[in-house]
Amino acid sequence: MNFLARHSEALKVELSPDSVRLRKRLLEITQIAGRGHIGPALSIIEIVDVLYRHVMVNPGETHSKEWSKRDRFLLSKGHGCLGLYVVLEDLGLLHGLDLLNFCSYESSFGGHPESSTVPVIEFSTGSLGHGMPVAVGLAVAAKLKKESWRVFVVVGDGELNEGSNWEAAAHAYKHNLDNLVVIVDYNNMQASGEASDVLEMHPLKDKWEAFGFETSEVNGHDREELARALNERNSNNSPRCIIAYTVKGKGVKKAENSSVWHHKAKISAEEIDALTLDLTT
Amino acid sequence: MRQTALQTVFELAKQDSRVVFIGSDLGAGTLKEMREELPNQFFMEGISEQYLVGFVAGLAKEGFIPFVNTIANFFTRRAFEQIAMDVALHNLPVRLLASGGGMVYAPLGPTHTAVDDFALMTSVPKLRVFSPGDANEMRELLVHSLNDPHPWYIRFGKGGEPIFSPNKQPEPNKPKLFGDPEAEILFLTTGILIHEVLEAMKELNKSSKNTVGAIHFSELTNMEFEVWAERYQSAQKVIVAEEHIPQGGLFSIVLRLLHTKNLDTRKLAQLSLPFAYLHNYGSQRDHLRVHGLDAIGLINQARVE
Repeated sequence: MNFLARHSEALKVELSPDSVRLRKRLLEITQIAGRGHIGPALSIIEIVDVLYRHVMVNPGETHSKEWSKRDRFLLSKGHGCLGLYVVLEDLGLLHGLDLLNFCSYESSFGGHPESSTVPVIEFSTGSLGHGMPVAVGLAVAAKLKKESWRVFVVVGDGELNEGSNWEAAAHAYKHNLDNLVVIVDYNNMQASGEASDVLEMHPLKDKWEAFGFETSEVNGHDREELARALNERNSNNSPRCIIAYTVKGKGVKKAENSSVWHHKAKISAEEIDALTLDLTT
Repeated sequence: MRQTALQTVFELAKQDSRVVFIGSDLGAGTLKEMREELPNQFFMEGISEQYLVGFVAGLAKEGFIPFVNTIANFFTRRAFEQIAMDVALHNLPVRLLASGGGMVYAPLGPTHTAVDDFALMTSVPKLRVFSPGDANEMRELLVHSLNDPHPWYIRFGKGGEPIFSPNKQPEPNKPKLFGDPEAEILFLTTGILIHEVLEAMKELNKSSKNTVGAIHFSELTNMEFEVWAERYQSAQKVIVAEEHIPQGGLFSIVLRLLHTKNLDTRKLAQLSLPFAYLHNYGSQRDHLRVHGLDAIGLINQARVE
């Protein structure tokens, strides 16, 4: 199946009640703040939710003795953080921190995730191309300590323009990191328009394979397909890449495949009402 | 200085399994013994400094103490964002060992001469910045670093410098004081320039009617003003000498410090490298001479009325 067909499949996926609930909450938060990276957050919701709910070991209990054994998650495309925040809140992992004051002066939740203000966030991200090198460091650390936990990192397709990702990919192969899983949120949109128009990254699967990654492609909004791929164990010594075909703005027709909703400030309550209505109809 | 630093890392790694060494294509001979004896604590990565700094941040986050070595500029310029965001924002105990500080790589041209590293690195919150003056100070600082939770940047001098500091130093980061406590002419300096300053002091003590003193700062992010406040106040002329562009280095740090203490700064004079890309080659020594940073230049500055 070529890229366009996969993208069209992702567009067709009917959202589960869980997926709709998370998106409603995301829009509610954005309505109060009047700003946010809505499109990039909507494209990763199923990826993050499936990871936290069905894949990662002990991902959130920061007070638990088992916390050190947890699987590590990095949202390298930090601007998609609203998608992460709503999942963490839904799972009760924010421990009293109030998401409704998103982006206000004293909030713990900014437009990019910070580990210093939200303990369950593994690592602060924002500037693109940082997650992969750090993830390689974490995965090597696990190997050195002979720990079995895994490292999951979500990168955006536009983010792959940054060369540091490929430096890290080459080293992940060198270090035989079979405890590292990179998930590419392939929504084919970045701030200036279609990712393939800004900088063509195809053939992406071939690129990852050439870097020594065991690579598969999934529908990034299909929970079952995601769970299957994410629960699969890497072959010995190989890092793994899952290219998840997604839709920017998924679930909100007006925002789907729209670079306008990549990031927006001064969003009016009426605009959000319209998006919410769009989501539920 | 570099050899001492790397050897010290090896010694520390033998005693403490948290210590790891990471280099960026530094040559086959680098720490050969460590590579063989402690293969799990030795990493020689590719030429990829952005990755390198992110990678060590990941290691540090999991409890390791990474000592990472490459050419100074490739840290400070190329991987600045990774230093600021991956290491310092997370306050991780990474030790950036920066080879070729100042004009050490003068023959290699402006891509390799690290003349703005103090300015860049002292602009990063949480990052401690060091510029030791000899191998003893370097070794003692690295030993000391094991107990510090903050990230460090350490500028390497040229190698083969004479020894001016003691073998054992309980507080190697504290300013070191030389000469007359009530000196009329006071030099403030950092890094390997302390050797030029000490030579200039020796000559001035013989030939000048003024008393002379000096303060060497091995750390630029913790100036310990109380240690040298009296010397500053009693001096008539204070010459700040540094192997760095005029902006953002020792002089800027001292000036701001004195300003916050509402002290007279009119007696300060600055000796530095120019604010320019230097297209001459030669040696580090040539550049120190041309820009008045060798002992003769310092003496001349001391004699200016």
